[in-house]
Amino acid sequence: MRENRVGLTTKATAIIVLVILVIVGVGAAYYVTSQQGTSPPSQRGTIKVGFSISETGTFNVEGGKSLAGIRAAAQWINDNGGVVVNGKAYNITLDYYDDASTAGNIVPLYTKIITQDNAQFLLAPYSSGLTAAAAPLADQYHLIMFSHGGASDSIWAKGYQNVFGILSPASTYLKTAIDYLKANHPNDKLAFLYANDAFSIVVGAAAADYAKAQGLTVVYNSSYPATVTDLSPQLTAAKAAGATDLLGGGHFNDGLLVMQQLKSVGWTPSFISLLVAVTEPAFQQQLGASANLVTGPSQWETTVNYSPSAASTAGVTYFGPTEQQFATEYAKFDSTGATYHSGEAGAAIIVLADAIETANSLNTTLVRDALHSLHIMTFFGQYQVDSTGKQIAHAMVLDQWQSGSLVVVAPSTATTGTVEYPYTGS
Amino acid sequence: MVASYFLSDPSVLLSDLVFGLLLGCVLAVVAHGLNMIWGVVKVVNIAHGEFIMLGAYGAYFLNLYWGIGPLASAVFDAAIGFLVGYAFYYVFLHRELRGKETVSLQSEMVTLVATFGLSLVISTLALIIFSGNVVGIDYDPGTLLLGPVSVPLGGLYVAVVSILIISGTYLFLERTFIGAAIRAYSQDVTATELIGANPAKVASLATALGFAITMAGGALLTVFISVGINPLMGTLYAPISFVIVVMGGPGKMWGSLAGGLTLGIVFDVLQAVATPQIAFATGFLLLIPVLILRPEGILK
Amino acid sequence: MKGRTPFTLYGLLAVMAALAAVASFSGVATTVLLVNLLVFAALAYSINFITGMTGYVSFGHVVFMAIGSYSLAVLVSTYSTSPFEGIALGALLGGLFALGIGAVTLRFRGVYFAIASLVLALAGYNLVLQFPQFGPGGELIFYIPFQPLTVFFAIWGIVVAEIVLTFFVNRGKVGLGIRAIKDEEDAAAAAGVNPMKLKLYVYMLSGLFAGAAGAVFAWSTFGVNASSAFDLTFSLQMLAMILIGGMGTSTGPLLGASIVYLLYYELLTYPRLQGGQFLVVGAAVIVIALFVPDGIVGIIRRKYPSLKPVIE
Repeated sequence: MRENRVGLTTKATAIIVLVILVIVGVGAAYYVTSQQGTSPPSQRGTIKVGFSISETGTFNVEGGKSLAGIRAAAQWINDNGGVVVNGKAYNITLDYYDDASTAGNIVPLYTKIITQDNAQFLLAPYSSGLTAAAAPLADQYHLIMFSHGGASDSIWAKGYQNVFGILSPASTYLKTAIDYLKANHPNDKLAFLYANDAFSIVVGAAAADYAKAQGLTVVYNSSYPATVTDLSPQLTAAKAAGATDLLGGGHFNDGLLVMQQLKSVGWTPSFISLLVAVTEPAFQQQLGASANLVTGPSQWETTVNYSPSAASTAGVTYFGPTEQQFATEYAKFDSTGATYHSGEAGAAIIVLADAIETANSLNTTLVRDALHSLHIMTFFGQYQVDSTGKQIAHAMVLDQWQSGSLVVVAPSTATTGTVEYPYTGS
Repeated sequence: MVASYFLSDPSVLLSDLVFGLLLGCVLAVVAHGLNMIWGVVKVVNIAHGEFIMLGAYGAYFLNLYWGIGPLASAVFDAAIGFLVGYAFYYVFLHRELRGKETVSLQSEMVTLVATFGLSLVISTLALIIFSGNVVGIDYDPGTLLLGPVSVPLGGLYVAVVSILIISGTYLFLERTFIGAAIRAYSQDVTATELIGANPAKVASLATALGFAITMAGGALLTVFISVGINPLMGTLYAPISFVIVVMGGPGKMWGSLAGGLTLGIVFDVLQAVATPQIAFATGFLLLIPVLILRPEGILK
Repeated sequence: MKGRTPFTLYGLLAVMAALAAVASFSGVATTVLLVNLLVFAALAYSINFITGMTGYVSFGHVVFMAIGSYSLAVLVSTYSTSPFEGIALGALLGGLFALGIGAVTLRFRGVYFAIASLVLALAGYNLVLQFPQFGPGGELIFYIPFQPLTVFFAIWGIVVAEIVLTFFVNRGKVGLGIRAIKDEEDAAAAAGVNPMKLKLYVYMLSGLFAGAAGAVFAWSTFGVNASSAFDLTFSLQMLAMILIGGMGTSTGPLLGASIVYLLYYELLTYPRLQGGQFLVVGAAVIVIALFVPDGIVGIIRRKYPSLKPVIE
């Protein structure tokens, strides 16, 4: 009898604990997502742009930044006359779902977006793996799909008809840094150490090849899986190989690991350039002084000076918001500031709007022709694609942390500062 | 290509061995709480990694709001872990274990699956509450230069604390009455009653101790590497802990250290000699021959 | 047992026939949703062979799924074969790997088997990254036409085969022997049952079907990526499905897969609850594991004994 009573109490406790857990969780989820607003109704026509985005899962940070960029760009277009086709103004409406960063969700969501929600244009999901799952649907249903977060070069070798890219492909990420080294420190010895995932390994391997082709000395070249716990052996080996510069990285996590362990193995390279991590404000917040003078490649920064006057210098037309206008609009959707994921996603909407106006039609074939022939500048930089849809006019920039702020230091056409060399460790 | 540097400069091998030992000590303490629970209560807590993650976040928040360093927050984490462990025992284990002399395959499976459910709940909640952002603690104890080898002080602190904790639990189990009761419970539940202790109290205490060490281990992880705290970090440290405990032999306190050091050295030396992928694959697969040849663990 | 009309089997096959009709005649959106549902059902039936029937928890079951995914992705992207050859290779390799792995790990008792299966998945992930044949960073993507109905019938056929096999394995001698092992392995061995042979047999089936399902999954997502192919969440979802549905039964996996996947998908498209899916699934797993270890089928069995022949 006594045993029985104990059993009941335990059971009741367990159930209460679980119920509380669920309530707290659902409440938190509700709170986190409750700030989403809806666009005001309007007398204009609408152009429905459909996409899935990673609001949860592995890519939730990048996905959140991309989504805010897309919403800001669409809002700016709508507030500034909309998209004009045959004299009629259209508002862009967004139709999107969370794909939880999971490939298995892409096909059901895009099928729903295309066949049930009747989206007229598509944006690709974040990352090349998810883009590959969505792209065949764009071709099947004859809709334009703009890729804003799939950097792998492999996307452009598959023969998709309707997929266009806004960003520079992975193989070009570290080019700017290597060009700088070639021009200014040709005798440096380079170590490449990068994550073994679909994106970073293409960046790292292409960069090492490019450096060798430029006549630079590469003394160390290695990759590591994303689950790495300790990079000291690799850093020690690179140091022992006589490397003076370190290039590579992968994610925010291992970028920080590299920085912290550089210190613990007692190596201070003269020049450091790491993917992804460096351009996050949190990189500097978490590393403090040792982040100073670290460089990293970026698709875009809020401080890059692409402007109507830069466009006329380059001989192309400028379309859409200025840097400042985009930043102001962006702040309404995300108070933590725009990163290049925000910029590239927003720019996809801007270029799409320009292509629709240029085609003066909502017809996929006409807009596709326009996207193939356009050569313009937006706040994100230049846009022009080759016959596969791959972006070829956009330039990667090189950022460097200088006294607590992220400065664009190369190439000269976009800069707000110059590279400071060498890195000193503090 | 990598191996050649290694031969030309013997200090590199020496460094890698030191790094491997330090990593091994960290992994040992991270796995030690699991070892305690597994060895005594005979239950594998699949949500182990999530409690390591909570321990790391504990260190993060203690640092953020009160400026407490990660070493000191290990103590706070341990206190919280102790209470969490008690709750865990009564919610998840008591019903299954109460009044049973041995843990049946059925109970083993029930607790495996229930704690797997718990790991889903905790990691999902953590993702919602902490968001996917990776956070870190501004903590840098510096390095110690020993000849050509640069030794990170953070790693050294953890190694010392790790050995203290492991030897402390060993002495506690060997030298105290409660320790004797716990050992009795781990061998034969009915023997616990013979020496005059309540089995449920003994089992819950062991679980609470295990959780205290686990959450402290999360904080100690941030002493070793103060960055990279994120809601999903447990998915890496849980399997590593499983491997360490099986290698060392569940319930053998020094087994955590034996398993941890083996794994640490395999990871770090093979990373330099071969590739990190080969190092990880080898480290994990090492478990299989150990299970075949020495199912009771590498320690006698 | 023998000679009884197999109502359960007829019922399940009728459900499958109905799903085929729905997939054929309703819109594409429904078809692709059913593809995903059946991929999960196929995985659930697969893990049911080993975990549901014998009680050995296969935490690393995703490894067989990954073997299937890479089989198809390598054949289709590198050798331009048809996806069906990929499925065949995935099933073959899945079954062979299960035989090889099982011959070693099925000797371990309960929890050690679970941990061994887990480390195999982690080792597999690292090995795939090591070899460039599996694409940069373990990512292989391919572009073949979008044919939802073809994919649907491929996975449909796999699930039907699994249902029939599950039903007959449960009913036949093998099932009898397996239940004996589950209750008391040593006693079963003493009674002349060869536990190792039986376990290896069901594990091989399990690996074979997980490989086939993994291949279809790669086909339906036009590629494979190491970090998602070896994502332990898949293992966990499979486990949750058979646990919620009812372990070892022939109805449980389909029931559990439907509940878990449809709930997941509904919450995915319901904006306010994003990211909360696994909270619900996790809580359900805890409650069921602790209080109703035989799942929904078990509840029905106890509450409505008359329904027993229909649901088992």
